Amino acid sequence: MFNRDTWLEIAHTVLSHPLRTALTGISIALGVFILVVMQGLGFGLQNGVKAQFADDAVNSVWVKAGNTQLAYKGNQANRRIIMRQNDVDALYNEMDTIYASTRRIRMWGISMEYGKKAGSFPIRGVDPDHQELENTKLISGRYISEHDVEVGTKVAVLGQTIIDELYNGEDPVGTQLLMNGILFTVVGHFNDPASRWENNMAYTPYSTAKKLFRSGRDQVDQIILGTGDMPIPATMTLTDRLQSWFKDRKSVHPEDQRGIWFDNNNEEYKRYQDIFVGIELFIWGLGFLTLLAGAVGVANILAIAVKERTKEIGVRKALGASSMSVVGLVVQEALSLMIVSGSLGLVLGVGILEIVSPMIDHEYFKNPQVDFRIALIALGVLVVVGVASGIGPALRAVRIKPVEALRDE
Amino acid sequence: MTGGQELKVLKGLDCHIKEGEMVAIMGSSGSGKSTMLNILGLLDSFDEGEYLLAGNSMDRLTENSAAKYRSKFLGFVFQSFNLINFKSAQENVALPLYYQGVQRKERNKIALEYLKKVGLLDWADHLPNQLSGGQKQRVAIARALVAKPKVILADEPTGALDSKTSEEVMKLLREINSEGITMVIVTHESDIAELCDRTIHLRDGQIVD
Repeated sequence: MFNRDTWLEIAHTVLSHPLRTALTGISIALGVFILVVMQGLGFGLQNGVKAQFADDAVNSVWVKAGNTQLAYKGNQANRRIIMRQNDVDALYNEMDTIYASTRRIRMWGISMEYGKKAGSFPIRGVDPDHQELENTKLISGRYISEHDVEVGTKVAVLGQTIIDELYNGEDPVGTQLLMNGILFTVVGHFNDPASRWENNMAYTPYSTAKKLFRSGRDQVDQIILGTGDMPIPATMTLTDRLQSWFKDRKSVHPEDQRGIWFDNNNEEYKRYQDIFVGIELFIWGLGFLTLLAGAVGVANILAIAVKERTKEIGVRKALGASSMSVVGLVVQEALSLMIVSGSLGLVLGVGILEIVSPMIDHEYFKNPQVDFRIALIALGVLVVVGVASGIGPALRAVRIKPVEALRDE
Repeated sequence: MTGGQELKVLKGLDCHIKEGEMVAIMGSSGSGKSTMLNILGLLDSFDEGEYLLAGNSMDRLTENSAAKYRSKFLGFVFQSFNLINFKSAQENVALPLYYQGVQRKERNKIALEYLKKVGLLDWADHLPNQLSGGQKQRVAIARALVAKPKVILADEPTGALDSKTSEEVMKLLREINSEGITMVIVTHESDIAELCDRTIHLRDGQIVD
């Protein structure tokens, strides 16, 4: 059944009916093309979103304090909770291992002047580990060092937005910048396209910021603890343990969501993973439906083709064609059409993505590509659909009785 | 084929066609002559009775064995030619050989021989719609002959042709018959029947006279 002659016979039949072949072929090629392009775009979206949130992909636990919601241990609700240095020390002490940690405080509307330009920007006072935990990418210079925090040096690391507005193309590293009238030395320049918010910031040593902009007040806004490569369940457990311990220390009700606020971006990371899975499911669902619509179209065309060929099939049977050879003729025809035009759609789709991919670099859209695995799956699905959509019409063709087919009208 | 066919069809037909005979089956429409031809040609099944083809019982054949017998013993010529219209004359003639598993080169060669025999060698590459009615029927006859059948069953082979062409086609069929191939021709034209050795008259599914 699968010899060269059979294929020649099929090629001949297919090529002798250009319109029928073109219609079927186009519907399949289009289906696969849309599938591939959708997959590519889906991956582009996924890659883009991933890059956006790469920032938060660092395993970490975030601690903040706020106003309590619930009355507890004789304290009324709406009590202000303040994290102090001794809380921070105790918290660090409570953890077995600390991979990285930073305190941070933030001040709004600090006026900054360089040369003739001035602007108002927020600043953060941080520890050196903040670079790793916030995933800050330095363009030039250096970050805040241990020494800076110990001594309280007046140094600053500036975000891209500040540099764009104040420096007019000049290299900021080594310059002197006035912040609220105090002279700081700029030691570093960072740019984090993934978080434009951070790009507004100037980072200074925690101790310096506390002394100069908070009048030395003992209040830590936020603590970030790195958990390294600790697996997600362990991080979850650790977060829960630290949280109840810390709430107890600060006399906050265990159910209180605002007094002490713990978060780890494992949870967020998982949320993003769920979003990615959602996007992927959506793409596959859409692709599946596209392919299904194509298959229905093909089955339809094949059914019509068989009806149109009633006489031809009757003649073939009168001339000695067996049922198998008639089934083979129809199914193999469907299959070869599927594979040829499917591959065409595949190549076309991949080609378009290859051409378009380098041109697109949107923040939520990167590298739209189809991997080879998906191309293979698509082809496999095609083969199955090809056989399935050929079988119905083929069985119809087998049932054609030569007598009825050849009866003159 | 050792002695032709014994028939007991329709309403008690009993008939024997000998090898090498040229027989006409005549009757008005509705007399059952087409049904008889379809049964002879294993294109239709029968409910009762017996049909021996070359000594083999044709009772309750499966589709596949019917196809095998058809391809081994029988050749068909139809009133409306029934050529496959997207295949050239040569490809049409070669088709039965394709179903017998003959190699492409070989079957194209044989097809040309038979086209030559029916005088259409120069038309081998033409599609059916580029041929006249007489030429189409000659292609159909070549196709019926190519598999070297024992019997040719012709259903109104001249029904769609003018009288001059009809005569030529009958002459061709006669020549083929003289080479030893049994010929069964269904017709309603008596001058066509007269060109045969014997005529079986059918009326209401029965043999008369």
